[in-house]
Amino acid sequence: MILSLNIVLLVFLVVAAVISLGVKDLLSGSMVLGIYGFLICLLWAEMGAVDVAFTEAAVGAGVSTVLFVATILNTKRRSTD
Amino acid sequence: MIFSLLGGLLIVAGLVFFFGAALGLLRFPDFYSRMHAAGKGDTLSSLLVVIGFALHELHDFSSFTHDWPTILVILKLSAIVVFIFLTSPTSTSALMDAGWEDGVEPVIEPGRPNVLRDDTEAR
Amino acid sequence: MNAKVSATIAVIITGAVLLYGVADFPDFGDPTSPANAGVEGGAPSASLHFINESYKETKVPNLVTSVLADYRGYDTMFETVVIFAAGLAIFVILRNLRSDDPLPEPLPATEDRFIDGDHQRIIVGTTCRIAIPLVQIFALYVVAHGHHSPGGGFQGGVMLGASFILVALGGNLRDALARLGEDTFMRLASLGILIYAAFGLVPQFLGRNFLDYGVLEKIFLTDGPEMARSHSMLGVEVGVALTVMSIMFAIFANLSSRGEMRGGL
Repeated sequence: MILSLNIVLLVFLVVAAVISLGVKDLLSGSMVLGIYGFLICLLWAEMGAVDVAFTEAAVGAGVSTVLFVATILNTKRRSTD
Repeated sequence: MIFSLLGGLLIVAGLVFFFGAALGLLRFPDFYSRMHAAGKGDTLSSLLVVIGFALHELHDFSSFTHDWPTILVILKLSAIVVFIFLTSPTSTSALMDAGWEDGVEPVIEPGRPNVLRDDTEAR
Repeated sequence: MNAKVSATIAVIITGAVLLYGVADFPDFGDPTSPANAGVEGGAPSASLHFINESYKETKVPNLVTSVLADYRGYDTMFETVVIFAAGLAIFVILRNLRSDDPLPEPLPATEDRFIDGDHQRIIVGTTCRIAIPLVQIFALYVVAHGHHSPGGGFQGGVMLGASFILVALGGNLRDALARLGEDTFMRLASLGILIYAAFGLVPQFLGRNFLDYGVLEKIFLTDGPEMARSHSMLGVEVGVALTVMSIMFAIFANLSSRGEMRGGL
């Protein structure tokens, strides 16, 4: 466990989470959510939880981004709030 | 020693190209030149950095003959290199094409022909 | 605006309470915390038991897998059922082919659908042709090798499902459905859960508890209950992988085609 790397990753994590909530464009939001998934995957791998990191990389960052994009393409792209 | 030095050099070169890619992404005028910078710079710098990791993992020439765990690590890193080399240019190309089909206009110097549009209309 | 303000206040209060609770936590990786060392004079530590005994009891080096698939088998089984239920829910909500609608024309399993068409499809299709088999082989490795290295049924299943999603993205949804049809993947999803349940029920018929794999040594003809537990974990992981693969692809196919399953994306 490297403390400075952890702090950098956590700062990026918070920034990615806030951006993904803030943007009006839902496609950008889901992309930033994919970045969030990869960051938290890195954080878990760095803490030694490799299985969880693997799951997060496959599910959280990979497939769920594709599912979000598929949903957005069939609904609206702009968020109203 | 020589491998560590070489690996370090490759990693630094990769970081320089990463910096160039990021700079191009910020500074270039339109979608296509930005994707150009991002795709090319990203592919090359990822390759350089991962090859640098592989060389850094080799400590000296004797690793080739009996240090099997190190050779395994290097094989895995080589597989990553091959995948990046396959997928990263493809995704850049697919993104460019999606942008063109979506109607993103390139910024073109006045007086120059839009070769991309002629190509599309010829098809 | 009012809703936003109240939501922000609720989030801030919840976050403050959570942070207040975190203050009482032991440090990260603290060996003297109750979870790691046990309570003095009370319950012994579960972590210590898993770390010290799980290899002797199950012959599985990756103790995450042994905890997930054996010690906490109920939990993993019903996680799989939850995924299955999610897939069924998406299916029920989105799939809108009425019984009196004309059936979509049968999907031909063409070989060269990737390559025909314009040059862009050639680039993407060729890369998909190279990448998809490698993804699938790696996914099978992840499922089968989950005992010894990170991975297991969930990860491997998601990667298998992602390979079929990649067929749909690189080519067409019809191509993917020609390779893994709708009735096939729904049957595979049910089969995965049935495999898991069978590994739970057979020990019951042999007079032990549900999901008590050790008694399966009479069926697997292994040297002892340890290897039977190891083999049963592999079977259970295969079941989980089948369900997760099918449900991931089912969700994608329904979402991307608005439940029509004819084409799209």
